[in-house]
Amino acid sequence: MLEARNVTVKYGSRLAVSDVSLRLTPGELTAVVGPNGAGKSTMVRTLNGGLKATAGEIILADKSLHRYSRSQIARRIAVVAQEADLRFPVTVLEFVLGGRFAWAGKGAWGWETAGDLECAQRVLRDTDLENMSKRLLSELSGGERQRAVLARALATEAGNLLLDEPTANLDLAHQAAILALVRSRCDRDRAAALVVTHDMNLASEFADHILLMKDGATLAYGGPAEVLTPKLLGQAFAIEVLVDAHPISGVPRITPVHKALGGL
Amino acid sequence: MRLNRTYLIALLLVCVVGCAPRNYQPGNAQLRQFKDEAGRTLSVPARVDRLVSLAPNLTEIVYAIGAGDRLVGNTTYCDYPAQARQVEKIGDTLHPSIERIIALRPQVVLVSTASQLEAFTKQLNDQGIAVYVSDPHDLDGVFHSIASLSELLNQSSAAQTLLTDLRARTNAVENAVKSAAPVAVFYQVSAQPLYTAGRDSFVTDLIRRAGGKSVTAEVPGAWPKFSAESALAARPETIILPTGGSLGDTNSFVADPLKSSPAVTNGRVYKINADHLSRPGPRSITGLEEMARSLHPELYK
Amino acid sequence: MMTVAIEEPQSQITFQGARMTLRKTLVVCSLLLLGLLVLIVLMSLLGSETLPVGGSICAIGTLGRGDCGLTSDQSLILLNIRLPRILLGASVGASLAAAGASYQALLRNPLAEPYLLGISNGAAVGTMLALVFLGSFEWARPLMAFSGALLATLLVYRLAHGRTGATPERLILAGVIVTTFLSSVIVFVTTLMDATRIRSFTFWLLGDLSGTTNELLVIAIVVAVLCTSVLAANARSLNLLMLGERDAFDLGVEVSRVRLIVFVAASLLVGSSVAASGSVGYVGLVVPHLVRLSLGGDNRMTVPAAAISGAVFVVVADTIARTVIAPRELPVGAITAIIGAPLFIYLLKRG
Repeated sequence: MLEARNVTVKYGSRLAVSDVSLRLTPGELTAVVGPNGAGKSTMVRTLNGGLKATAGEIILADKSLHRYSRSQIARRIAVVAQEADLRFPVTVLEFVLGGRFAWAGKGAWGWETAGDLECAQRVLRDTDLENMSKRLLSELSGGERQRAVLARALATEAGNLLLDEPTANLDLAHQAAILALVRSRCDRDRAAALVVTHDMNLASEFADHILLMKDGATLAYGGPAEVLTPKLLGQAFAIEVLVDAHPISGVPRITPVHKALGGL
Repeated sequence: MRLNRTYLIALLLVCVVGCAPRNYQPGNAQLRQFKDEAGRTLSVPARVDRLVSLAPNLTEIVYAIGAGDRLVGNTTYCDYPAQARQVEKIGDTLHPSIERIIALRPQVVLVSTASQLEAFTKQLNDQGIAVYVSDPHDLDGVFHSIASLSELLNQSSAAQTLLTDLRARTNAVENAVKSAAPVAVFYQVSAQPLYTAGRDSFVTDLIRRAGGKSVTAEVPGAWPKFSAESALAARPETIILPTGGSLGDTNSFVADPLKSSPAVTNGRVYKINADHLSRPGPRSITGLEEMARSLHPELYK
Repeated sequence: MMTVAIEEPQSQITFQGARMTLRKTLVVCSLLLLGLLVLIVLMSLLGSETLPVGGSICAIGTLGRGDCGLTSDQSLILLNIRLPRILLGASVGASLAAAGASYQALLRNPLAEPYLLGISNGAAVGTMLALVFLGSFEWARPLMAFSGALLATLLVYRLAHGRTGATPERLILAGVIVTTFLSSVIVFVTTLMDATRIRSFTFWLLGDLSGTTNELLVIAIVVAVLCTSVLAANARSLNLLMLGERDAFDLGVEVSRVRLIVFVAASLLVGSSVAASGSVGYVGLVVPHLVRLSLGGDNRMTVPAAAISGAVFVVVADTIARTVIAPRELPVGAITAIIGAPLFIYLLKRG
């Protein structure tokens, strides 16, 4: 369980996150949505200790985050953020095995154990990459590479997954596939996941809770039906939206209404 | 490599400043043609009375032929005779200030090829200052330098006395060692890294005349960096360390690979004032005498 | 069913493939080490003086204790001049290549190299100050060289890090600035030195393995072995850092601690090399690049394999330097630069 309690983060004098609280529970997927610059990514970095909270506290399984070492945190919280730098030759398998770093014995001169290899093998299968394990990362397509980044995060076997726009630059099918995979981690392995996304409909379809942020502050925090309302979304994005029920799943469906189309 | 580039840029900047156009004309209209030791023809006034010397050996020659009072500038290395220290300094041999040279309005600048200042020479020529290049490779070259400079400075009679004396002393040394077997000599310029005197060095000739045979006499170049193992294999009977004088106490120890040589085992390592050996001038004859005494102590009891 | 049948052997292969990296590393490094030992013996047969081959091999094998029919001069040449020089070349090559490989991984830049980043020049300034002001202390040279290298590293690192982080271009630019600045410091100090010292110093700036003491040789060997081991022990962290500092942090790497360890170990390597032999350029660029090209990007392989290959490279380059115009000698840095500079241009063009 990972929890943010009244977290405030400042960059110098600029307020990036202001008094935000949030709780990730095993088996549940939380989506963070909001306009650009709302503080979503800052929130992710703060949740795993990459940024220090100016005020408030991060709690990981009943203890304050700063009482854990770097590798203890890495075994409990996995992050999918930016794409990797690819100036050096690295195979997909080597890359995914990077996720096992925090499990290595003292000294880190350690080589991967059979257990590490089995785990890597498993997540490669889960992300449908096992046929590519010997290929260089730089040879993969954007979607494949994104799956490799996710596979590396899954290889940490961390109970908390933080994903910062994991579906950016992906086509429709791959977007849904990635989120479905994260969802299954929550359902099957009781993982707690947080996904930052710009896609309201994906958030609506896959998330149990949604945190809507604007200007670093919480605008709304609750179930999809509570948060994804025309009023709140209008407030957050300064745009008119139409919200109705998805014809198949019944979850809220969001459609922006453009003036040019003749709004309601 | 990188160092050289920076050095060149710095030199270039100096040149740019130095090249600023000036309406400088040599004071004397009466010019004569004169050939220097490199075979270049220069135009100089009938009487040269403003001189700059860029090398300590040339400074010593100028004083020895009685023209020291005409030096208006010399280098920081020019420390002999004592009066030479009082002359205005224009930098050292490797880094002379062209601005200061021009400001001193010399009629002739004396340079030695050892200082490698071809670009510099052109700069001075462009300013209407004649450049005299001295190029002695052996003792005869030194005698020639003295004769030629005395002609340039109209000091022939003083030079005659000097040359007669120097030649007599040289002959005395050569006669003394004539019948002695040549001694194998290693001339150590610096121990770490190991430098010696090669084929083109003035010192190699000096060693030969003093009744020695430099073990590096056939190595190309004047001052080559020498292989440590070849130095060891050469097994010199005598080692000469040019040290003292303006060098202070540098080069006062024998290089490691030479420590097993017969010279060291038999205690035949000699220190000779570096200024007598590295400055081809009148004091080179003193160097020659000291060398002969070191190589053949039995002849000088 | 069909897909399962096809997937089984495939997963088997990749499974073995990963476990093989450990075995592959051990095999490759042992072979390289063996090659280095053979090379050391072969290169000690070459020099400006000709020595009997059989007697020389015998003398090396028995470390001069056996009777191998060499004259005392011959065995002095072999055991007191050639062998120490070759060993110094090997430790300098190993140090520079291991430092280069680590700098490249840490700074995420295949062009990072001690010489090109100005780190060698930092060590050179340190050594020079030690020579001028602390000449009498044997330990002053390597210590000052190390301090100079560390200061230059931190300076380049700080200069390269803008508000947006360090781009490879910024890093190289910072390296050029630091290199040229330190070069002017060197020119300034050599100008103040007397003429004979300048000559020996400029030769030494291009890398020269001939002028060293037994103390410096021992320091160079000990530092090369210890610090290369430290770097290799952090190679798994470097693997992650190579792909991005933030990702490495997220995966559990203590980034600032590893960075400090690598900076200090690599600076020690560069410092002890420069103190013993001057700046030998391009070793840290050429060798790790060729190692990655042929063995892949895993630093647990790259760091030790580059160290041994670097030793091979410099031993060969120095044999050329001391034999090609014998009995005169060239600076070894001239040989490594002749090989390294074109490769650098090639790498730069390829982007």
